[in-house]
Amino acid sequence: MSAKTEKPKALATKAAAEEVDWKELLTFPEKIGWRDHVVGFSIAAIYAAILIVTARTLGFARDEGFYFSAGSSYARWVEMLFHETSRALERSTVDGVWGQNHEHPSLMKLLFGLSHLWLHEKWGLFQDASTAFRFPGMAMSGMALWVTYLFGARVFSRRAGFIAAVLLGAMPQLFYNAHLACFDAPIMAMWLFAVYIYFRSVKEGGLWWAIAFGVAYGLTLDTKHNAWILPAVFIPHAFFVQRKAIAKNLVLGRVIVPTNLVTMAILGPLVTFALWPWLWSDTAARVQEWFNFHLHHTYYNMEFLGKNYYDAPSPRAYMPVLIVASVSGITLVLFFIGAFDRLRAMFFRFVTIVEKDGDTATTLPSEGNKSPIVEDKTEADILLFLALCAPLAVFLIPTTPIFGGTKHWLPAYPFLAMLAGHGFDMVADKADSAISRYTKAIPRRELIHGALIACVLIAPIAETAHSHPFGLSAYVPTIGGTAGGADLGLNRQFWGYTTQSTDPWFEKNGRPGARVFILDTTGEAWSRMQEEGRMRKDLRAVGSPSEADFSLVQHELHMNEVDYQIWEAYGHTDPAYVLAHDGVPIISIYKR
Amino acid sequence: MKWLKSWAFAAVPLIGIVELGAHIAQVRGVTPDSDWAAAKAAVSSEAKPADLVAFAPRWVDPIGREKFGGDLATLEREAPGDVTRFPRAFEVSIRGAHEEDLSRWKKTNEQKFGAVTVTTLENPDYRPTLDDLVADLNPEQAMASRADASGESACNWVVANAQTGNLGFGPAIPARRFECGGTHVGVSVVADMDYYPHRCIYAPPPGGNSVLRIKFANVLFGDVLHGNHGLYVEAERSRTGSPISITFSVGDKKIGKATHQDGDSWKGFEFSTGDMKGQRGDLIAEIASANGNRRMYCFEAITR
Repeated sequence: MSAKTEKPKALATKAAAEEVDWKELLTFPEKIGWRDHVVGFSIAAIYAAILIVTARTLGFARDEGFYFSAGSSYARWVEMLFHETSRALERSTVDGVWGQNHEHPSLMKLLFGLSHLWLHEKWGLFQDASTAFRFPGMAMSGMALWVTYLFGARVFSRRAGFIAAVLLGAMPQLFYNAHLACFDAPIMAMWLFAVYIYFRSVKEGGLWWAIAFGVAYGLTLDTKHNAWILPAVFIPHAFFVQRKAIAKNLVLGRVIVPTNLVTMAILGPLVTFALWPWLWSDTAARVQEWFNFHLHHTYYNMEFLGKNYYDAPSPRAYMPVLIVASVSGITLVLFFIGAFDRLRAMFFRFVTIVEKDGDTATTLPSEGNKSPIVEDKTEADILLFLALCAPLAVFLIPTTPIFGGTKHWLPAYPFLAMLAGHGFDMVADKADSAISRYTKAIPRRELIHGALIACVLIAPIAETAHSHPFGLSAYVPTIGGTAGGADLGLNRQFWGYTTQSTDPWFEKNGRPGARVFILDTTGEAWSRMQEEGRMRKDLRAVGSPSEADFSLVQHELHMNEVDYQIWEAYGHTDPAYVLAHDGVPIISIYKR
Repeated sequence: MKWLKSWAFAAVPLIGIVELGAHIAQVRGVTPDSDWAAAKAAVSSEAKPADLVAFAPRWVDPIGREKFGGDLATLEREAPGDVTRFPRAFEVSIRGAHEEDLSRWKKTNEQKFGAVTVTTLENPDYRPTLDDLVADLNPEQAMASRADASGESACNWVVANAQTGNLGFGPAIPARRFECGGTHVGVSVVADMDYYPHRCIYAPPPGGNSVLRIKFANVLFGDVLHGNHGLYVEAERSRTGSPISITFSVGDKKIGKATHQDGDSWKGFEFSTGDMKGQRGDLIAEIASANGNRRMYCFEAITR
């Protein structure tokens, strides 16, 4: 009898223990750990899944065609490396393969190509070849949200990290770029990743973190040339953090350099060199060529405030105006709250030190009179602001080209989002203290927090969802939306990616075998759209309106000249169809 | 005041909600087809061939042309030399926009068709056009030649396919044109430095000692010869090209000379012809430039 009664008792105890385990499992300790990676990974996976699901409705940007092609060649070379190693390593083979599109480093193109080779051709995971090519960029964008959450959680709070990650993902122009087999979203992700690993190397110390940072910087350098700017973040910060040790050693006549800067300087270029076979021969000359290409890059046409810019000097207002026009108003409000708070904290800390000691050079270090927490916060604040400002500062230099729009300062956005997350924390804390006068009930406070989160996230999410697939044309309500952007004379698109959106019209109205002038869309992008059934397969792309039955004009200010050619060649000005987004013309189709 | 400070945080979620509301309003604020159709019906019932029909803001022009069709949105209306030659204008606008060129015109009527407003405006300085050189550029009324130190050679009138290209091609080389040994004379549409269109006689000067000469027969003169000239935007925006001169004469009498420097964009000129008012005569336009490299020049002129 007793045995009978003992058995259920044991089971009950076991069940209770399991229940306790689950509770523990779902309880986040103070220290950031694996649970946070689960949260970060979940955010990343959801974002990447949304990108994958919406990828088919987004046409191909002209540069994607070049990267599809180069990526495929690189991936074939990797296969050759395993099967015909010596042939693959011959200089003629290496130069032949890696010479393609060598103005940009290899990492992302290699990933595009390998993803296509394995996830499409071999395993058939993605039905569309293009989605396989684009997947690494999407994964990188997801990773950016993951790291944003972690970074925000470590520096501010988990809530701030979560808000930051969602606000980052809900930026319409980032959402557009995150779909592409290009480098702009990946360099944002890698920039953030490198800064995060650097941050950990500072916090954790030790050689392994320093090595990890050096490798991370090398991967960033192999992603896009924006990485050239990153030392402007790390060097001043590392010297600030190590200033006490540096000063002490200087007094002793020794010069020391922070370990993570050493690994950055040594491992960074080595990793890039190792992963970019084009640099394996004539290294110095080719590095020089890489620099020259970007330092003397051709200017493109770009409309800003109704004027077409095509040459230096760039207007200094370009970057700030476009940020206000393309990032949700509530995100910027939260950013200003958070940034103001951190700047104020840094300012008061600096003033206190100066007033107390009179000499910042000797007293700025944590001399024991400041708590390590305050010291940590100052270091983190400085790092965040440096990483935010470095990509933006470049666009205040008049000689920096205007081309490319917002995509070139995407690396600033995770840090903008993190400070917005901190801004949200401050608002939520204020809400707590205001509400605590009326109720101490936790569920009610949780409800209010939930409502607050909904209030700040719903507009950015709605704007981003609505912007697709015209992300570059879409502007935020702050300036009147897409039509407001057109009123202001802001660029509506580039790279001819909107051509795919004309397919429904051609399905109904294009006669079989019709010739189509595709203007800004490359032949490669057009062919792939046809291969994947995104455009009617019988339509033939031609190189001029005169040869065509139908002519497309993707509306940008400087494309107007093609409208006028068509008017003269076709003898009329009226398009057969104008594809519009929120009433703003995106593409005109003229019929001969 | 303390209460206000405690609850100031509420402004943030409120901003979020207001932004969402603004987004919804902006997305739903698209002008419906029915408004365009009603505006079109009103304009087509009132507009005469000589009237201007213009869409504002400029960015909505493609939709205006699509909705109004080629009969109302004609080449002459869409790409005028300037607006001074129109006695009346129908400004079709959305979002409260107005065409700057018509800002001094007298408003005589305004009709609203939902989101579309049709404003009728009268030109306060209107003087009727007597002759239009762009309309006269055909083998019956004009001839072109290329002259240099070795003599003058006539240009052949051809009717072929229009030549067009991708970005950077410049104005279309029209199907109906004079072929002048390396250059041509024909009516096309040029994009000025603001990318505005102007219908004009596309006549790139050969450069050096060569002159492009166009003779317009039997032109009816008035008080003035009024016109505009310019280059294709990409040919003049770098401001490195040679100036281009256009000289008008009747017989041995020089009427006037206008010079276009890179950066001038679409630039007007006007010469007095009062002493020939009411008379007809052959008007000669001579176009010259020291260097013909990318001198994608276009001009238009009327007498009035």
